[in-house]
Amino acid sequence: MSYFTPLAVVGLALAAAPGVWLLEQLVAGQRPAPGRALRDLRIMLGSPLQRPESCDSALFHLAPSLLVLASVVALATVPWAPGFRGIDLQAGALLFVAALAYVTPAMVMAGWGAGRPLAVLGGFRWVALMLAYAMPLAMVITSVAAPAGSLRPTDIVRVQHAVPMAVAQPLALALWLPAVTAVCFLPPFDLPQAGGELFGGVFAEYRGLDLALVALAQRVLLLAVSGMTAALFLAGWEWPLLPPAVWMGLKTAAVAWLLLWAGRRFPRVAVDRALSLAWRVANPLSMLAIVYAGLLTLLFYR
Amino acid sequence: MSDLATAIVFWPAVGLMLAAAVFVFITSSMARAGLLLLASLAIEGLVFLALGSRFLGFLQLLMMSGEMVIMVFFMVMFMPDPGGLMGMDMTHDKRRSATVAVAVTAALGLVAVLTDWPARVVGRGAPDVRAIGFEVMGRSMISFLFAGMTILLAMVGGVLLAKHGGRFGLPAAGDEQSGEHSPPEERS
Amino acid sequence: MISLPVVLAVAALLFGVGVYGVLGQTNTIMIIMGVELMLGAAMLNVVGFLRYSHPHATSGDFFVLVLMTLMALEGAVGFALVVSVFRSRRTSEADDLTELSG
Repeated sequence: MSYFTPLAVVGLALAAAPGVWLLEQLVAGQRPAPGRALRDLRIMLGSPLQRPESCDSALFHLAPSLLVLASVVALATVPWAPGFRGIDLQAGALLFVAALAYVTPAMVMAGWGAGRPLAVLGGFRWVALMLAYAMPLAMVITSVAAPAGSLRPTDIVRVQHAVPMAVAQPLALALWLPAVTAVCFLPPFDLPQAGGELFGGVFAEYRGLDLALVALAQRVLLLAVSGMTAALFLAGWEWPLLPPAVWMGLKTAAVAWLLLWAGRRFPRVAVDRALSLAWRVANPLSMLAIVYAGLLTLLFYR
Repeated sequence: MSDLATAIVFWPAVGLMLAAAVFVFITSSMARAGLLLLASLAIEGLVFLALGSRFLGFLQLLMMSGEMVIMVFFMVMFMPDPGGLMGMDMTHDKRRSATVAVAVTAALGLVAVLTDWPARVVGRGAPDVRAIGFEVMGRSMISFLFAGMTILLAMVGGVLLAKHGGRFGLPAAGDEQSGEHSPPEERS
Repeated sequence: MISLPVVLAVAALLFGVGVYGVLGQTNTIMIIMGVELMLGAAMLNVVGFLRYSHPHATSGDFFVLVLMTLMALEGAVGFALVVSVFRSRRTSEADDLTELSG
Protein backbone atom coordinates (compact mmCIF):
# COMPACT_ATOMS: atom_id res chain seq x y z
CA MET A 1 0.00 0.00 0.00
CA SER A 2 1.53 3.29 -1.02
CA TYR A 3 0.75 6.80 0.12
CA PHE A 4 -0.94 7.35 -3.21
CA THR A 5 -3.69 4.81 -2.52
CA PRO A 6 -5.94 6.77 -0.12
CA LEU A 7 -5.88 9.74 -2.48
CA ALA A 8 -6.80 7.49 -5.38
CA VAL A 9 -9.75 6.03 -3.45
CA VAL A 10 -11.06 9.46 -2.47
CA GLY A 11 -10.64 10.63 -6.05
CA LEU A 12 -12.57 7.63 -7.26
CA ALA A 13 -15.32 8.36 -4.75
CA LEU A 14 -15.60 11.97 -5.96
CA ALA A 15 -15.55 10.88 -9.59
CA ALA A 16 -18.18 8.24 -8.88
CA ALA A 17 -20.92 10.68 -7.99
CA PRO A 18 -21.28 12.28 -11.47
CA GLY A 19 -20.87 8.88 -13.10
CA VAL A 20 -23.63 7.26 -11.08
CA TRP A 21 -25.78 10.36 -11.52
CA LEU A 22 -25.35 10.03 -15.30
CA LEU A 23 -26.36 6.39 -15.09
CA GLU A 24 -29.44 7.32 -13.04
CA GLN A 25 -30.51 9.78 -15.74
CA LEU A 26 -29.97 7.18 -18.45
CA VAL A 27 -31.95 4.53 -16.58
CA ALA A 28 -34.75 7.04 -16.02
CA GLY A 29 -34.79 7.64 -19.77
CA GLN A 30 -33.93 11.33 -19.52
CA ARG A 31 -31.31 13.24 -21.48
CA PRO A 32 -28.43 14.03 -19.14
CA ALA A 33 -28.10 17.77 -18.64
CA PRO A 34 -24.76 18.46 -16.92
CA GLY A 35 -25.24 22.23 -16.98
CA ARG A 36 -28.47 22.11 -15.04
CA ALA A 37 -27.03 19.59 -12.60
CA LEU A 38 -24.08 21.87 -11.88
CA ARG A 39 -26.44 24.79 -11.29
CA ASP A 40 -28.57 22.67 -8.95
CA LEU A 41 -25.46 21.59 -7.08
CA ARG A 42 -24.31 25.19 -6.69
CA ILE A 43 -27.69 26.21 -5.34
CA MET A 44 -27.69 23.23 -2.99
CA LEU A 45 -24.24 24.03 -1.63
CA GLY A 46 -25.11 27.71 -1.36
CA SER A 47 -28.19 27.25 0.78
CA PRO A 48 -27.69 27.41 4.53
CA LEU A 49 -27.75 24.33 6.77
CA GLN A 50 -30.97 23.40 8.51
CA ARG A 51 -30.93 23.79 12.27
CA PRO A 52 -33.29 21.18 13.70
CA GLU A 53 -35.20 22.15 16.83
CA SER A 54 -33.84 19.33 18.97
CA CYS A 55 -31.09 19.27 21.50
CA ASP A 56 -29.23 16.56 19.58
CA SER A 57 -28.52 18.59 16.48
CA ALA A 58 -24.84 17.59 16.64
CA LEU A 59 -25.91 14.05 15.76
CA PHE A 60 -27.96 15.47 12.90
CA HIS A 61 -24.90 17.13 11.35
CA LEU A 62 -22.53 14.23 12.10
CA ALA A 63 -24.69 11.64 10.35
CA PRO A 64 -23.85 12.63 6.72
CA SER A 65 -20.12 12.55 7.51
CA LEU A 66 -20.41 9.08 9.03
CA LEU A 67 -22.35 8.00 5.95
CA VAL A 68 -19.59 9.32 3.66
CA LEU A 69 -16.89 7.69 5.80
CA ALA A 70 -18.62 4.31 5.74
CA SER A 71 -19.16 4.44 1.99
CA VAL A 72 -15.57 5.49 1.20
CA VAL A 73 -14.13 2.71 3.40
CA ALA A 74 -16.44 0.23 1.69
CA LEU A 75 -15.24 1.54 -1.67
CA ALA A 76 -11.62 1.17 -0.60
CA THR A 77 -11.97 -2.59 -0.10
CA VAL A 78 -13.14 -3.23 -3.66
CA PRO A 79 -10.44 -4.80 -5.85
CA TRP A 80 -10.51 -2.91 -9.15
CA ALA A 81 -7.60 -4.38 -11.09
CA PRO A 82 -4.49 -6.40 -10.27
CA GLY A 83 -2.49 -3.24 -9.72
CA PHE A 84 -5.16 -0.91 -8.39
CA ARG A 85 -7.01 -1.59 -5.20
CA GLY A 86 -7.44 0.49 -2.11
CA ILE A 87 -6.99 -1.65 0.99
CA ASP A 88 -5.92 -5.21 0.25
CA LEU A 89 -6.20 -7.06 3.52
CA GLN A 90 -6.60 -10.67 4.48
CA ALA A 91 -9.95 -9.86 6.04
CA GLY A 92 -10.98 -7.36 3.35
CA ALA A 93 -14.44 -8.83 2.77
CA LEU A 94 -15.10 -8.58 6.50
CA LEU A 95 -14.03 -4.93 6.43
CA PHE A 96 -16.49 -4.34 3.58
CA VAL A 97 -19.39 -5.70 5.66
CA ALA A 98 -18.19 -3.81 8.73
CA ALA A 99 -18.11 -0.54 6.76
CA LEU A 100 -21.61 -1.13 5.42
CA ALA A 101 -22.79 -1.81 8.98
CA TYR A 102 -22.02 1.81 9.89
CA VAL A 103 -24.76 3.08 7.60
CA THR A 104 -27.17 1.95 10.33
CA PRO A 105 -25.94 4.22 13.15
CA ALA A 106 -25.77 7.07 10.66
CA MET A 107 -29.43 6.60 9.79
CA VAL A 108 -30.42 6.44 13.45
CA MET A 109 -28.43 9.59 14.17
CA ALA A 110 -30.02 11.42 11.26
CA GLY A 111 -33.51 10.34 12.24
CA TRP A 112 -33.12 11.06 15.93
CA GLY A 113 -31.24 14.31 15.44
CA ALA A 114 -33.90 15.76 13.15
CA GLY A 115 -36.32 15.62 16.05
CA ARG A 116 -39.40 14.96 13.92
CA PRO A 117 -41.62 11.91 14.48
CA LEU A 118 -41.52 10.77 10.86
CA ALA A 119 -37.73 11.02 10.73
CA VAL A 120 -37.37 8.97 13.93
CA LEU A 121 -39.78 6.45 12.46
CA GLY A 122 -37.64 6.26 9.32
CA GLY A 123 -34.53 5.64 11.39
CA PHE A 124 -36.20 2.86 13.37
CA ARG A 125 -37.55 1.25 10.22
CA TRP A 126 -34.02 1.20 8.91
CA VAL A 127 -32.73 -0.52 12.07
CA ALA A 128 -35.37 -3.22 11.75
CA LEU A 129 -34.59 -3.73 8.07
CA MET A 130 -30.83 -3.81 8.52
CA LEU A 131 -30.98 -6.24 11.44
CA ALA A 132 -32.95 -8.54 9.20
CA TYR A 133 -30.54 -8.18 6.28
CA ALA A 134 -27.24 -8.21 8.18
CA MET A 135 -27.21 -11.98 8.52
CA PRO A 136 -27.85 -12.81 4.84
CA LEU A 137 -25.15 -10.28 3.88
CA ALA A 138 -22.53 -11.84 6.15
CA MET A 139 -23.52 -15.39 5.21
CA VAL A 140 -23.34 -14.67 1.49
CA ILE A 141 -19.86 -13.25 1.98
CA THR A 142 -18.95 -16.44 3.84
CA SER A 143 -20.35 -18.71 1.17
CA VAL A 144 -18.49 -16.81 -1.55
CA ALA A 145 -15.27 -16.83 0.45
CA ALA A 146 -15.44 -20.57 1.13
CA PRO A 147 -14.35 -21.73 -2.36
CA ALA A 148 -11.44 -19.30 -2.32
CA GLY A 149 -10.49 -20.34 1.20
CA SER A 150 -9.81 -16.68 1.92
CA LEU A 151 -11.60 -13.49 2.92
CA ARG A 152 -9.26 -11.43 0.71
CA PRO A 153 -11.33 -10.06 -2.20
CA THR A 154 -8.48 -10.48 -4.71
CA ASP A 155 -8.26 -14.19 -3.86
CA ILE A 156 -11.99 -14.51 -4.36
CA VAL A 157 -11.61 -12.89 -7.80
CA ARG A 158 -8.75 -15.23 -8.72
CA VAL A 159 -10.63 -18.40 -7.80
CA GLN A 160 -13.28 -17.48 -10.38
CA HIS A 161 -11.00 -17.63 -13.41
CA ALA A 162 -12.87 -20.67 -14.74
CA VAL A 163 -16.43 -20.29 -13.46
CA PRO A 164 -17.86 -16.99 -12.16
CA MET A 165 -19.44 -17.32 -8.75
CA ALA A 166 -22.78 -16.12 -10.15
CA VAL A 167 -22.96 -19.37 -12.14
CA ALA A 168 -21.62 -21.57 -9.36
CA GLN A 169 -23.78 -20.07 -6.60
CA PRO A 170 -26.87 -18.40 -8.08
CA LEU A 171 -28.69 -18.64 -4.73
CA ALA A 172 -26.03 -16.53 -3.02
CA LEU A 173 -26.32 -13.89 -5.75
CA ALA A 174 -30.11 -13.86 -5.43
CA LEU A 175 -29.79 -13.21 -1.69
CA TRP A 176 -27.01 -10.66 -2.13
CA LEU A 177 -28.70 -8.33 -4.62
CA PRO A 178 -31.75 -7.35 -2.51
CA ALA A 179 -29.56 -7.03 0.57
CA VAL A 180 -27.14 -4.60 -1.07
CA THR A 181 -30.02 -2.65 -2.61
CA ALA A 182 -31.38 -2.26 0.90
CA VAL A 183 -27.97 -1.14 2.20
CA CYS A 184 -27.86 1.63 -0.42
CA PHE A 185 -31.41 2.70 0.52
CA LEU A 186 -32.33 2.51 -3.15
CA PRO A 187 -35.95 2.44 -4.36
CA PRO A 188 -37.54 -0.93 -3.83
CA PHE A 189 -36.12 -0.79 -0.30
CA ASP A 190 -35.99 2.98 0.27
CA LEU A 191 -37.92 2.57 3.50
CA PRO A 192 -36.11 5.13 5.69
CA GLN A 193 -36.72 8.05 3.38
CA ALA A 194 -39.80 6.65 1.56
CA GLY A 195 -41.00 9.56 -0.58
CA GLY A 196 -44.76 9.11 -0.36
CA GLU A 197 -45.22 7.59 3.08
CA LEU A 198 -42.87 9.45 5.37
CA PHE A 199 -42.49 12.69 3.37
CA GLY A 200 -38.76 12.26 2.99
CA GLY A 201 -38.36 10.48 6.34
CA VAL A 202 -34.83 10.54 7.64
CA PHE A 203 -33.48 13.05 5.13
CA ALA A 204 -36.44 15.40 4.96
CA GLU A 205 -34.77 18.09 7.05
CA TYR A 206 -31.42 18.12 5.32
CA ARG A 207 -30.38 21.21 3.36
CA GLY A 208 -27.23 22.54 1.79
CA LEU A 209 -23.95 20.76 2.40
CA ASP A 210 -25.60 18.05 4.54
CA LEU A 211 -27.89 17.10 1.68
CA ALA A 212 -25.00 17.12 -0.81
CA LEU A 213 -23.01 14.78 1.46
CA VAL A 214 -25.96 12.38 1.76
CA ALA A 215 -26.38 12.35 -2.02
CA LEU A 216 -22.64 11.77 -2.48
CA ALA A 217 -22.60 8.96 0.09
CA GLN A 218 -25.51 7.16 -1.54
CA ARG A 219 -23.80 7.21 -4.94
CA VAL A 220 -20.46 6.08 -3.52
CA LEU A 221 -22.28 3.26 -1.72
CA LEU A 222 -23.93 2.21 -4.96
CA LEU A 223 -20.54 2.19 -6.70
CA ALA A 224 -18.96 0.21 -3.85
CA VAL A 225 -21.62 -2.50 -3.75
CA SER A 226 -21.72 -2.74 -7.54
CA GLY A 227 -17.95 -3.09 -7.66
CA MET A 228 -18.00 -5.69 -4.91
CA THR A 229 -20.77 -7.62 -6.69
CA ALA A 230 -18.72 -7.58 -9.88
CA ALA A 231 -15.65 -8.76 -7.96
CA LEU A 232 -17.32 -11.44 -5.84
CA PHE A 233 -19.79 -12.86 -8.32
CA LEU A 234 -18.83 -11.86 -11.87
CA ALA A 235 -15.15 -12.81 -11.75
CA GLY A 236 -13.98 -9.19 -11.48
CA TRP A 237 -11.19 -8.50 -13.95
CA GLU A 238 -10.63 -12.17 -14.84
CA TRP A 239 -11.97 -12.24 -18.40
CA PRO A 240 -9.97 -12.44 -21.63
CA LEU A 241 -9.48 -10.07 -24.58
CA LEU A 242 -10.04 -6.68 -22.91
CA PRO A 243 -7.71 -5.14 -20.31
CA PRO A 244 -8.64 -6.07 -16.71
CA ALA A 245 -9.71 -2.62 -15.56
CA VAL A 246 -12.05 -2.25 -18.54
CA TRP A 247 -13.78 -5.52 -17.74
CA MET A 248 -14.15 -4.50 -14.14
CA GLY A 249 -15.60 -1.11 -15.11
CA LEU A 250 -18.06 -2.68 -17.54
CA LYS A 251 -19.26 -5.24 -15.01
CA THR A 252 -19.61 -2.62 -12.28
CA ALA A 253 -21.64 -0.40 -14.58
CA ALA A 254 -23.85 -3.35 -15.54
CA VAL A 255 -24.58 -4.20 -11.91
CA ALA A 256 -25.26 -0.56 -11.03
CA TRP A 257 -27.59 -0.32 -14.02
CA LEU A 258 -29.41 -3.47 -12.89
CA LEU A 259 -29.91 -2.13 -9.35
CA LEU A 260 -31.16 1.24 -10.58
CA TRP A 261 -33.43 -0.38 -13.15
CA ALA A 262 -34.93 -2.69 -10.52
CA GLY A 263 -35.62 0.38 -8.41
CA ARG A 264 -37.69 1.92 -11.20
CA ARG A 265 -39.33 -1.33 -12.18
CA PHE A 266 -40.62 -2.62 -8.84
CA PRO A 267 -42.89 -0.76 -6.38
CA ARG A 268 -41.60 -0.02 -2.90
CA VAL A 269 -41.78 -3.03 -0.61
CA ALA A 270 -43.90 -2.37 2.47
CA VAL A 271 -41.87 -2.55 5.65
CA ASP A 272 -43.69 -5.52 7.20
CA ARG A 273 -43.42 -7.43 3.95
CA ALA A 274 -39.71 -6.67 3.63
CA LEU A 275 -39.13 -7.84 7.20
CA SER A 276 -41.11 -11.06 6.83
CA LEU A 277 -39.28 -11.80 3.56
CA ALA A 278 -35.94 -11.21 5.23
CA TRP A 279 -36.59 -13.29 8.35
CA ARG A 280 -38.71 -16.10 6.90
CA VAL A 281 -37.17 -16.49 3.45
CA ALA A 282 -33.76 -14.85 3.16
CA ASN A 283 -32.30 -16.02 6.48
CA PRO A 284 -33.13 -19.74 6.10
CA LEU A 285 -32.06 -19.64 2.45
CA SER A 286 -28.74 -18.10 3.41
CA MET A 287 -28.09 -21.05 5.74
CA LEU A 288 -28.82 -23.29 2.76
CA ALA A 289 -26.42 -21.21 0.65
CA ILE A 290 -23.64 -21.81 3.19
CA VAL A 291 -24.25 -25.58 3.20
CA TYR A 292 -24.25 -25.56 -0.59
CA ALA A 293 -21.04 -23.54 -0.67
CA GLY A 294 -19.42 -26.05 1.68
CA LEU A 295 -20.39 -28.97 -0.55
CA LEU A 296 -19.18 -27.08 -3.63
CA THR A 297 -15.87 -26.32 -1.97
CA LEU A 298 -15.31 -29.92 -0.88
CA LEU A 299 -16.21 -31.33 -4.28
CA PHE A 300 -14.65 -28.91 -6.75
CA TYR A 301 -12.36 -26.34 -5.17
CA ARG A 302 -9.80 -28.42 -3.31
CA MET B 1 2.64 -1.70 11.29
CA SER B 2 5.66 0.19 12.47
CA ASP B 3 5.99 1.29 16.08
CA LEU B 4 5.36 4.89 15.14
CA ALA B 5 2.18 4.13 13.22
CA THR B 6 0.97 1.95 16.09
CA ALA B 7 1.55 4.77 18.56
CA ILE B 8 -0.12 7.32 16.29
CA VAL B 9 -3.26 5.19 16.15
CA PHE B 10 -3.11 3.83 19.69
CA TRP B 11 -2.91 6.91 21.91
CA PRO B 12 -5.66 9.07 20.35
CA ALA B 13 -7.87 5.98 20.05
CA VAL B 14 -7.39 5.14 23.71
CA GLY B 15 -8.14 8.71 24.75
CA LEU B 16 -11.28 8.89 22.66
CA MET B 17 -12.42 5.47 23.85
CA LEU B 18 -12.14 6.39 27.52
CA ALA B 19 -13.67 9.84 27.02
CA ALA B 20 -16.65 8.39 25.16
CA ALA B 21 -17.09 5.75 27.86
CA VAL B 22 -17.13 8.39 30.59
CA PHE B 23 -19.56 10.62 28.72
CA VAL B 24 -21.98 7.70 28.36
CA PHE B 25 -22.82 8.12 32.03
CA ILE B 26 -22.66 11.92 32.07
CA THR B 27 -24.88 12.90 29.17
CA SER B 28 -28.56 13.32 29.85
CA SER B 29 -29.81 12.37 26.39
CA MET B 30 -30.32 8.63 26.19
CA ALA B 31 -29.89 8.40 22.43
CA ARG B 32 -26.60 10.22 22.80
CA ALA B 33 -25.54 7.82 25.56
CA GLY B 34 -26.19 4.81 23.35
CA LEU B 35 -24.30 6.31 20.42
CA LEU B 36 -21.39 7.26 22.70
CA LEU B 37 -21.22 3.66 23.87
CA LEU B 38 -21.14 2.62 20.22
CA ALA B 39 -18.31 5.11 19.62
CA SER B 40 -16.38 3.82 22.63
CA LEU B 41 -16.62 0.16 21.66
CA ALA B 42 -16.02 0.84 17.95
CA ILE B 43 -12.88 2.78 18.82
CA GLU B 44 -11.88 -0.22 20.90
CA GLY B 45 -11.96 -2.04 17.56
CA LEU B 46 -9.44 0.52 16.27
CA VAL B 47 -7.27 -0.20 19.33
CA PHE B 48 -7.36 -3.90 18.39
CA LEU B 49 -6.25 -2.89 14.90
CA ALA B 50 -3.43 -0.81 16.33
CA LEU B 51 -2.30 -3.79 18.40
CA GLY B 52 -2.16 -5.84 15.20
CA SER B 53 -5.28 -8.01 15.54
CA ARG B 54 -6.95 -7.13 12.27
CA PHE B 55 -9.57 -9.83 12.21
CA LEU B 56 -10.71 -9.09 15.75
CA GLY B 57 -10.72 -5.35 15.07
CA PHE B 58 -12.97 -5.64 12.04
CA LEU B 59 -15.20 -8.12 13.83
CA GLN B 60 -15.50 -5.76 16.79
CA LEU B 61 -16.47 -2.89 14.46
CA LEU B 62 -19.06 -5.08 12.75
CA MET B 63 -20.61 -6.56 15.89
CA MET B 64 -20.80 -3.36 17.89
CA SER B 65 -22.57 -1.32 15.20
CA GLY B 66 -25.54 -3.67 15.22
CA GLU B 67 -25.63 -4.29 18.93
CA MET B 68 -25.34 -0.71 20.12
CA VAL B 69 -27.94 0.53 17.65
CA ILE B 70 -30.35 -1.97 19.21
CA MET B 71 -29.31 -0.50 22.55
CA VAL B 72 -30.28 3.00 21.35
CA PHE B 73 -33.59 1.60 20.16
CA PHE B 74 -34.38 0.08 23.55
CA MET B 75 -33.32 3.19 25.42
CA VAL B 76 -35.66 5.33 23.38
CA MET B 77 -38.46 2.82 23.91
CA PHE B 78 -38.17 2.27 27.64
CA MET B 79 -36.62 5.38 29.13
CA PRO B 80 -38.99 7.79 30.81
CA ASP B 81 -37.02 10.68 29.32
CA PRO B 82 -35.15 9.63 26.16
CA GLY B 83 -34.33 13.12 24.94
CA GLY B 84 -32.89 14.29 28.24
CA LEU B 85 -35.12 17.37 28.20
CA MET B 86 -36.66 17.03 31.64
CA GLY B 87 -33.42 17.00 33.58
CA MET B 88 -34.19 13.75 35.41
CA ASP B 89 -31.53 12.38 37.68
CA MET B 90 -30.81 8.81 36.66
CA THR B 91 -28.15 8.05 39.22
CA HIS B 92 -28.05 6.87 42.79
CA ASP B 93 -25.25 6.41 45.29
CA LYS B 94 -23.04 8.57 43.15
CA ARG B 95 -20.25 9.05 45.64
CA ARG B 96 -20.09 5.44 46.81
CA SER B 97 -20.12 3.99 43.30
CA ALA B 98 -17.44 6.45 42.20
CA THR B 99 -15.31 5.38 45.17
CA VAL B 100 -15.73 1.71 44.35
CA ALA B 101 -14.94 2.37 40.68
CA VAL B 102 -11.78 4.29 41.52
CA ALA B 103 -10.68 1.60 43.97
CA VAL B 104 -11.24 -1.17 41.41
CA THR B 105 -9.36 0.80 38.75
CA ALA B 106 -6.48 1.49 41.11
CA ALA B 107 -6.23 -2.14 42.16
CA LEU B 108 -6.29 -3.42 38.60
CA GLY B 109 -3.88 -0.73 37.46
CA LEU B 110 -1.45 -1.60 40.26
CA VAL B 111 -1.58 -5.25 39.30
CA ALA B 112 -0.99 -4.30 35.67
CA VAL B 113 1.98 -2.05 36.39
CA LEU B 114 3.67 -3.86 39.28
CA THR B 115 3.52 -7.44 38.04
CA ASP B 116 6.68 -8.58 36.31
CA TRP B 117 5.20 -9.58 32.96
CA PRO B 118 7.41 -11.56 30.61
CA ALA B 119 9.03 -8.90 28.44
CA ARG B 120 8.24 -9.59 24.81
CA VAL B 121 7.63 -7.28 21.91
CA VAL B 122 4.43 -7.20 19.94
CA GLY B 123 4.39 -10.04 17.46
CA ARG B 124 5.08 -9.11 13.89
CA GLY B 125 2.75 -10.74 11.42
CA ALA B 126 -0.65 -11.26 12.97
CA PRO B 127 -2.02 -14.80 13.04
CA ASP B 128 -3.72 -15.04 9.70
CA VAL B 129 -7.43 -15.45 9.28
CA ARG B 130 -7.03 -18.99 7.95
CA ALA B 131 -5.33 -20.05 11.17
CA ILE B 132 -8.24 -18.67 13.21
CA GLY B 133 -10.63 -20.60 10.99
CA PHE B 134 -8.69 -23.81 11.55
CA GLU B 135 -8.66 -23.10 15.28
CA VAL B 136 -12.45 -22.62 15.38
CA MET B 137 -13.19 -25.63 13.22
CA GLY B 138 -10.48 -27.84 14.70
CA ARG B 139 -9.15 -27.73 18.23
CA SER B 140 -11.86 -25.46 19.66
CA MET B 141 -14.72 -27.15 17.86
CA ILE B 142 -16.37 -28.37 21.06
CA SER B 143 -16.32 -24.93 22.67
CA PHE B 144 -17.57 -23.42 19.43
CA LEU B 145 -20.49 -25.85 19.35
CA PHE B 146 -21.17 -25.07 22.98
CA ALA B 147 -21.22 -21.34 22.19
CA GLY B 148 -23.65 -22.05 19.37
CA MET B 149 -25.96 -23.97 21.68
CA THR B 150 -25.77 -21.13 24.20
CA ILE B 151 -26.80 -18.64 21.52
CA LEU B 152 -29.75 -20.84 20.62
CA LEU B 153 -30.80 -21.13 24.27
CA ALA B 154 -30.50 -17.37 24.74
CA MET B 155 -32.57 -16.76 21.62
CA VAL B 156 -35.35 -19.08 22.77
CA GLY B 157 -35.21 -17.72 26.31
CA GLY B 158 -35.18 -14.11 25.15
CA VAL B 159 -38.17 -14.60 22.87
CA LEU B 160 -40.10 -16.42 25.59
CA LEU B 161 -39.37 -13.72 28.14
CA ALA B 162 -40.27 -10.86 25.84
CA LYS B 163 -43.33 -12.54 24.35
CA HIS B 164 -46.64 -10.77 24.69
CA GLY B 165 -48.19 -12.15 27.87
CA GLY B 166 -44.95 -13.43 29.35
CA ARG B 167 -43.79 -17.01 29.50
CA PHE B 168 -47.12 -18.37 30.75
CA GLY B 169 -49.16 -17.05 27.84
CA LEU B 170 -52.01 -14.59 27.86
CA PRO B 171 -54.53 -14.99 30.69
CA ALA B 172 -58.03 -16.06 29.76
CA ALA B 173 -60.65 -13.32 29.77
CA GLY B 174 -61.79 -12.54 33.31
CA ASP B 175 -58.90 -14.42 34.86
CA GLU B 176 -57.85 -12.28 37.79
CA GLN B 177 -55.04 -14.50 38.94
CA SER B 178 -52.29 -13.62 36.50
CA GLY B 179 -51.02 -10.14 37.09
CA GLU B 180 -49.21 -9.97 33.77
CA HIS B 181 -51.83 -7.84 32.15
CA SER B 182 -53.22 -5.84 34.95
CA PRO B 183 -53.05 -2.10 34.36
CA PRO B 184 -50.00 -0.33 35.76
CA GLU B 185 -50.06 -0.62 39.50
CA GLU B 186 -49.93 2.57 41.42
CA ARG B 187 -46.44 2.97 42.74
CA SER B 188 -45.88 4.94 45.87
CA MET C 1 6.32 2.78 23.62
CA ILE C 2 3.22 0.69 24.09
CA SER C 3 3.78 -2.35 26.22
CA LEU C 4 1.64 -4.89 27.99
CA PRO C 5 1.25 -2.92 31.28
CA VAL C 6 0.00 0.10 29.29
CA VAL C 7 -2.69 -1.93 27.57
CA LEU C 8 -3.70 -3.53 30.86
CA ALA C 9 -3.87 -0.14 32.58
CA VAL C 10 -6.11 1.22 29.83
CA ALA C 11 -8.34 -1.83 30.22
CA ALA C 12 -8.44 -1.19 33.98
CA LEU C 13 -9.63 2.37 33.36
CA LEU C 14 -12.34 1.18 31.00
CA PHE C 15 -13.38 -1.46 33.53
CA GLY C 16 -13.59 1.22 36.22
CA VAL C 17 -15.91 3.32 34.07
CA GLY C 18 -18.07 0.25 33.58
CA VAL C 19 -18.16 -0.43 37.32
CA TYR C 20 -19.25 3.15 37.95
CA GLY C 21 -22.05 2.75 35.41
CA VAL C 22 -23.31 -0.50 36.90
CA LEU C 23 -23.31 0.81 40.46
CA GLY C 24 -24.33 4.39 39.90
CA GLN C 25 -27.09 4.23 37.31
CA THR C 26 -30.69 3.57 38.23
CA ASN C 27 -31.97 2.43 34.87
CA THR C 28 -31.71 -1.22 33.83
CA ILE C 29 -30.60 -0.38 30.32
CA MET C 30 -27.86 1.92 31.57
CA ILE C 31 -26.71 -0.91 33.85
CA ILE C 32 -26.53 -3.21 30.83
CA MET C 33 -24.39 -0.57 29.13
CA GLY C 34 -22.01 -0.61 32.08
CA VAL C 35 -21.74 -4.39 31.84
CA GLU C 36 -20.94 -4.06 28.13
CA LEU C 37 -18.11 -1.67 28.94
CA MET C 38 -16.72 -4.12 31.51
CA LEU C 39 -16.83 -6.92 28.96
CA GLY C 40 -15.12 -4.63 26.46
CA ALA C 41 -12.34 -4.06 28.98
CA ALA C 42 -12.00 -7.81 29.43
CA MET C 43 -11.65 -8.20 25.66
CA LEU C 44 -8.97 -5.53 25.57
CA ASN C 45 -7.11 -7.45 28.26
CA VAL C 46 -7.28 -10.67 26.28
CA VAL C 47 -6.10 -8.95 23.10
CA GLY C 48 -3.23 -7.35 25.03
CA PHE C 49 -2.09 -10.68 26.47
CA LEU C 50 -2.54 -12.29 23.08
CA ARG C 51 -0.43 -9.77 21.23
CA TYR C 52 2.32 -9.30 23.79
CA SER C 53 2.91 -12.77 25.14
CA HIS C 54 1.61 -15.28 22.61
CA PRO C 55 1.42 -13.49 19.26
CA HIS C 56 0.80 -16.65 17.29
CA ALA C 57 -1.69 -18.44 19.49
CA THR C 58 -5.01 -18.58 17.66
CA SER C 59 -6.81 -19.84 20.75
CA GLY C 60 -6.67 -16.27 22.10
CA ASP C 61 -8.54 -14.98 19.05
CA PHE C 62 -11.09 -17.69 19.66
CA PHE C 63 -11.49 -16.57 23.25
CA VAL C 64 -12.26 -13.02 22.10
CA LEU C 65 -14.84 -14.44 19.67
CA VAL C 66 -16.54 -16.17 22.60
CA LEU C 67 -16.46 -12.92 24.59
CA MET C 68 -18.13 -11.03 21.74
CA THR C 69 -20.83 -13.70 21.63
CA LEU C 70 -21.23 -13.28 25.35
CA MET C 71 -21.71 -9.52 24.95
CA ALA C 72 -24.44 -10.06 22.38
CA LEU C 73 -26.17 -12.68 24.53
CA GLU C 74 -25.99 -10.56 27.64
CA GLY C 75 -27.62 -7.71 25.72
CA ALA C 76 -30.32 -9.97 24.26
CA VAL C 77 -31.32 -11.62 27.53
CA GLY C 78 -31.07 -8.35 29.41
CA PHE C 79 -33.36 -6.59 26.96
CA ALA C 80 -35.81 -9.48 27.11
CA LEU C 81 -35.92 -9.08 30.90
CA VAL C 82 -36.44 -5.33 30.53
CA VAL C 83 -39.31 -5.92 28.11
CA SER C 84 -40.94 -8.42 30.42
CA VAL C 85 -40.56 -6.19 33.49
CA PHE C 86 -41.80 -3.17 31.58
CA ARG C 87 -44.91 -5.09 30.48
CA SER C 88 -46.00 -5.80 34.02
CA ARG C 89 -44.67 -2.75 35.91
CA ARG C 90 -44.47 0.05 33.31
CA THR C 91 -40.99 0.95 34.51
CA SER C 92 -37.41 0.08 33.72
CA GLU C 93 -35.91 1.62 36.85
CA ALA C 94 -33.92 -0.87 38.92
CA ASP C 95 -34.81 1.00 42.14
CA ASP C 96 -38.49 0.14 41.72
CA LEU C 97 -37.90 -3.60 41.61
CA THR C 98 -37.47 -4.23 45.32
CA GLU C 99 -39.89 -6.96 46.22
CA LEU C 100 -37.19 -9.57 46.79
CA SER C 101 -35.22 -7.33 49.14
CA GLY C 102 -36.12 -8.80 52.50
